[in-house]
This record gives sequence, C-alpha cells and structure tokens, in this order.
Amino acid sequence: MSQLGSVGLVAALAFAAFAVVAGVVGGKLRSLRVVRSAERATLAFFVMVTVAVVALEYLILTNDFHNAYVAEHSNRDLLTFYKVAALWAGQEGSLLFWTWLLSIYSALAVLLNRKKNRQLMPYVVAVLMGTGVFFSSLVLFVANPFQELSLASPAGVQPFTPPDGNGLNPLLQYHSMVIHPPMLYLGYVGMVVPFAFAMAALITRQLGDNWIRTTRRWTMVPWMLLGLGILLGGNWAYAVLGWGGYWGWDPVENASLLPWLSGTAFLHSVMIQEKRGMLKVWNVVLVITTFFLSIFGTFLTRSGIVSSVHAFAQSNIGPFFAVFLSIIAFFSLTLLFLRLDHLKSENKLDSLVSRESGFLFNNWILLALVFAVLWGTLFPLISKAVQDVSVTVGAPFFNKTAIPMGLLLLFLTGAGPLLAWRKTSFQSLKRNFLAPLIIAGVSGAILLIAGVRHFYAWMTLVLSIFVGVCILGEFWKGARTRMKTAGENFAQALYNLTVRNTRRYGGYVVHLGIVLLFIGFAGLAFKTEAKGLMQEGDLLRVKNYLLRCDGLASGDTPNYEYTRALITVTKDGHAFTSMHPEKRFYKASQQPTSYVSIHPTLSEDLYVVLAGLDQDTGKAVIEVFINPLVMWVWIGGVVVFLGTLLALVPSRVEREMAEIRRAQEVAVQANDAI
Amino acid sequence: MTRADGSRKPTLESIGDQVMCLCGCVATLNHCPHRDCATVAEIRPIIEKEIAEGKDETTILQDLAIRYGVQVLAAPPARGFSLTAWILPGVGLLAGLSFVLIIGRRWRKPSPVAAAIPAKPLDPKLLAAVEEEMKSSGLGAGG
Repeated sequence: MSQLGSVGLVAALAFAAFAVVAGVVGGKLRSLRVVRSAERATLAFFVMVTVAVVALEYLILTNDFHNAYVAEHSNRDLLTFYKVAALWAGQEGSLLFWTWLLSIYSALAVLLNRKKNRQLMPYVVAVLMGTGVFFSSLVLFVANPFQELSLASPAGVQPFTPPDGNGLNPLLQYHSMVIHPPMLYLGYVGMVVPFAFAMAALITRQLGDNWIRTTRRWTMVPWMLLGLGILLGGNWAYAVLGWGGYWGWDPVENASLLPWLSGTAFLHSVMIQEKRGMLKVWNVVLVITTFFLSIFGTFLTRSGIVSSVHAFAQSNIGPFFAVFLSIIAFFSLTLLFLRLDHLKSENKLDSLVSRESGFLFNNWILLALVFAVLWGTLFPLISKAVQDVSVTVGAPFFNKTAIPMGLLLLFLTGAGPLLAWRKTSFQSLKRNFLAPLIIAGVSGAILLIAGVRHFYAWMTLVLSIFVGVCILGEFWKGARTRMKTAGENFAQALYNLTVRNTRRYGGYVVHLGIVLLFIGFAGLAFKTEAKGLMQEGDLLRVKNYLLRCDGLASGDTPNYEYTRALITVTKDGHAFTSMHPEKRFYKASQQPTSYVSIHPTLSEDLYVVLAGLDQDTGKAVIEVFINPLVMWVWIGGVVVFLGTLLALVPSRVEREMAEIRRAQEVAVQANDAI
Repeated sequence: MTRADGSRKPTLESIGDQVMCLCGCVATLNHCPHRDCATVAEIRPIIEKEIAEGKDETTILQDLAIRYGVQVLAAPPARGFSLTAWILPGVGLLAGLSFVLIIGRRWRKPSPVAAAIPAKPLDPKLLAAVEEEMKSSGLGAGG
C-alpha cells in the first residue's frame, strides 16, 4: 500500500506538470483540444492524489507501524475517529492533505467551468496546477508520508515494525480539533482559485466584470471556511488548553487571521468595481495578497521559524516555501504592472461621504490590521536579525494595537451600509444615523451607571448597540416598505426582501454576527479567576457560585489514565450543576493533558480546571474561571457562517441577470454564425 | 487598588500577564499549562517580593528583564529599535489614511480616460437577436 501511495504521488506530479504546459500552450494556440487535455490532466491529478490519501488512511486504520508516519502519529488503541484525523496530525500527512484539497478545488474549478470562462480556463488550470506541482513535489521529495522504518543491524539495514505507535498528540484528541485543520486548510487552499482567475484575467487581458464576478464567489467560500476554522481553533484552545481564553495572539493563530482580513477587504472593495468600475488595481492586489498570505501562513506554521504552541510539526521545508512565495510575488506583481493600462477606473468619486468611501475606509482599517498583526508576528525575527536581541511580542502588544483598530472597524460595519452610493445627503445622514446614535448614547449612559467602567469593554458594547440598531433598522425599513407596497405581513415581507437580494441581506446577517462576536470579546474584561486546594467536603466560593468537592475518581481506558474531580455547584444558594474536570495521561505518547469542565450560559461560562494534585497535601488543585459572554463568540461565529451561506445563494435578481447574460451569449454566438 | 499618585498597585496577576514563562510553553506566566513549572516557581516569588517592597510595575518588569533578558517581557520595550514595534502600526494606519484621502481627492477630478472613450453604439442586429431570445425565454417586457 505504501508503494501504491508513492505511485499515486509520482503520477500526480506528472499530471500536474503536464497540465501546466498544456494549459499555457493551449491558451497561446487557442487549441480547444490541448486545453481539454490540460483539464483532463487536472482531473487525473485529483484522482492520483486521492489514491495517495486513501493509501495513507488505509495504513493508519490498519495499524501498519512499519510506515514511519503511522508509527509517529497513531497507536492501536486510538479511537477510529481520531485515527482518520491522524492524516493531518503531522507535517507529511498534513501537506498531503493540503495537496488533496488543492486537487479537489482544481477539479471543481474545471468541472464548473466546462461551458464558461473558456478564454480564462487554460491559464486558470496552469496556475492551479503550478501550485499542484509545488505541493506534490514537496510531499514526494521533502516530506514523504510513505517512508518506512528500518533498523541498522550487523546484517545490514533491516525493515523494522514497532509493536505499537506513539499515538496522536493528546492536545489533538478533541472533537473540534478534528474539524479545525480541515476547515482551515479548505480556507487557505481555496484562495488559490480566485488567484488563478485573477492571473488568467491579467494574462488574457479579460479584465471586465466577468472575472471579478467569478472571483468573488470563489473567494467567499474559502473565506467562510477559514473563518469557521479560526472559530473552531478558538473553541479548542478554550476547551483544552485550560487557561480560560480562546485567542492568545499566537503566531500561528495570527497567520490564519491575516488572509481572512485581506479576504474581507477584497469581498468589500469588489463591490465598488462591480457597481462603479473603480479600484481595479487594488482588487487585483488584494487577491494576490490574500493568496500570498495563505501560503505565508502555511510556511509560518510548518517552518519552525516562530515559536508557537501550535508547533506540532516542524521540518526543513522553510526554504522551499520561501522560494515559492518569491515566485508568486514576482510573477503576479510583474503581470499586474504590465497590465496597468487595462485596469483604469471608469468613474470618479463623487463624495467622501458615500458608500464608495465607506468601503475605502473599511479597506484602510482592514489592511492596517493586517500590517499591525504581521509586523508584530514577525518582529521577534526582525529584532534578532537587526539587533541580535530576542524579544517576545505577545498578547499585550496585539491588544494595544489591534483593539482600537477593531473598534473603528466595528463602527464602519454599521455606518458603511447606511451611506448611499456616490453621495449621501445631510438629510439622509440624519434620517439613517439619528436613531442609532441616540439609542447607543442612552445605552452607553446606562452601562456607565450599571458600573461598566472598563473603557474598551464599554466602547465595544456601545458600538455593538449602534451597529446592531443600524443593521436591524435596514431589515425593518425594507420590510416595512414591502408591507406597504405589496400588502404582505411582516414575516412574508422580510422573507421576500431577503430572497430578492440575498447578497445584500446575507451581508447584513454577517455584520450582525460580527456584532455578536464583539459582544463576546467585551466579556473578557470582566473575567474572574480563583484557585484552591480541595479534597472531599471542601468548599470554594467564587462570586455567587459555591463549589463543593465530592471527591476524586480515577480510572483507566486503553488510551489513557485519568483523574477526575467530582464538583457540585450551587449558585445563589440553589442547586446549579455538577462538573467533572479531568487530568489525563495518554499512555502511548506519555503526555498529560487537561479536560476542562465548562457550564455555558448566555450570560457567562463557569469553567473549572483540575490543574493537578498538590504534592504536599495530595489535594486537587482546582482553578475556576467565570467568563462572561463567551457563548456570544460561538453564536456570532455561527451567524457569520449562516450569513455567508445566505449571501452565496443566488437571489432572484441575480438569477434574472444570469438568464439575460446567457441570452446575450447565445445571441452573440448566433450572430457570429450568421 | 489605586495608589496616591494615581497609578494602580501591581499585583501578581497583572505582572504575570505581562511576563512570559521561559519553560518553552510560549505562554505568559499566568497561563503556563505545566502544573509544576520550575520557571513559574522561580519567577513568581521574585515578583511577590518586589511587590512587597513597594516597587511599581515598570520597575518590576525592568528588573525581570535585567535578570532574564528582554525576551521575558510579553511585549517589546518601547526603546531603541524595539520602539519601531510600537510605532510602525500607528504609522501604517496614518499612512493608509493619507493614501485613502489622497486617492479620494484625485478621483474627484474628471478621469481623462473615461472622458476620452466615447460609448459605442449598440449593433442593431445584435440588439434584435437579444430581444428575440429574451422573448422566447420569457424574460421580455411581458415576462
């Protein structure tokens, strides 16, 4: 099976290389036959990489510890669920997984464009498969998951099969950690498709509306999945790492945030190009930047050049990524420079108080955030290179720099959609902003009276109320107009309003999700922590919670040994819940980990950790956190996800426009035939 | 607790959030996941002693940096080359704002390209073909 996997990789590389050459040649010669062969080679690339993935999964699931990767990342007693996830647990497997997702996206791009974008597709395929050549080469020659174990002996090098493997890293044995990497990779990898279309548009000089419409949709899907991946990673950090937080500004966390931020900028500024034919150069720059940051994020995570709690897999692949990144930057920026004449704006800016300006300012903040986070993440390396001094850039730095920018962005999230295209009159400003400003102002005063004195938390809540009122106001105004003109009831009006323009109202739902996220973030300012040594019968009071230890239980599973604290909680004197935090020791990897007990509610989470046993007294060390508003982070993330799905659904207006465009294409073809 | 000079009295928690644990966990002192971390056990008493001596937060952080190196601080010090860590994000923000305002002003002038290229008249045959297609697919004026 290892040999089958290796053959799959070799064949995949061959097909990818053929597709690059055939795509370029077919595009140059305008040969349909050659282009179709490049597309078929892309589909064959997908099949061959799938063979390699299936081969590796087979080796993992059948406990073939003769394979070095399987021996390193799996063991006999690992649950099947986690054995499947072992595919992406280590460097080699995760790079193969990355390549497989690339092959899926590439195959989809080919299949969904069999009858459209025909002038672009040769070069789209060439760029996709050029990336495929890089990754399949990396897997085949540098980080090969099909290497086998051997032992040197007097008789020479002999194959070696250990009786069991080292097991999966205990930190990865958690449900959200199983889906977190696939979602992140789907986000990272998916950014290659809009990049490929952008390059194809530049090469062919087809820089009209078509490429931007195609690129926007192909960006929204990976953007949504990357956001979901980031959320799942936060959920894992919260539930497993045991420090009561979900975001630590770790370099690898930052690396995932960067393409998401620049992708967000692109999804907004693209609207200006669609509506007004402006920002064409900027949009190409954003697509290039987003793809570059995706590959850069992969490089940062895997190269070991930064210290990170996520550094599960390190190797010597850094220089290869550095070369690939240089090629991407050189190729794309050179092409952009050569095509500047085709990217001139078609219109002018009528006013700085307009929707266009709102998007400009939105892009300004998002890219400033990208710069601040990137600068902070790389500063330890830069400091070492420039002054030979090792410094740390942690949460205090990022909180001071990113939070003010985040609040500006939150304000624009509400204000931007209320500005009119081209120019917003003073009357319009008054009509749209007066009520939200008054409500937010009054709410701010109430919050101050209620004792909310932490400045950033107060500002976040006030702005969240402002933005929430702005967005809900848009739904209300739109529905009310339909109720008057179409005679519908509120529910019907709201439904029809949304389905007629899913992109707009899906976007509003996404903005509402962002508001909920920020409300969740504000809760961090009001966190309470306590710690105590507890044995059976001991009590620990934290705010209005009283925790009673009912003893410790210990046990043994095939995979791990555990010690569990049995805690009964009362709140305000009434029975509330029971909680069972655990400390686990995984036998195969000989590593401990915590299993946090969380009781979530909409207002706050009660979060209890069994940190260990006190060596002197043998008592349990119990850490308790009360984390206000955390639930709104997860809810907000889900709302963002649902809003994006809604925005992806073609609205009635879009479907009608698509029909008209298809009719025009048919008419053009008919005219050509006459 | 606030001091007479208005500054907040440092606590083990406030200092622990600004100091890195050096055991390799890549977390602050307060969030080191290792139960019996030797580094935490070494640094915490030092902080407690300095708080008891009445030192302010800045002095305590400086003392730790002298003892363990500047990488013990969770954020780079605002001096020397490390000052650029703090300044450049703000510079970037202002530079971006200036760029947006300059571009906005430039775009408010008439575009010579847009003015020079006249709109092409529609081909009557093509228009007729499109209208025919729209009627047959039910998307015409009556559809």
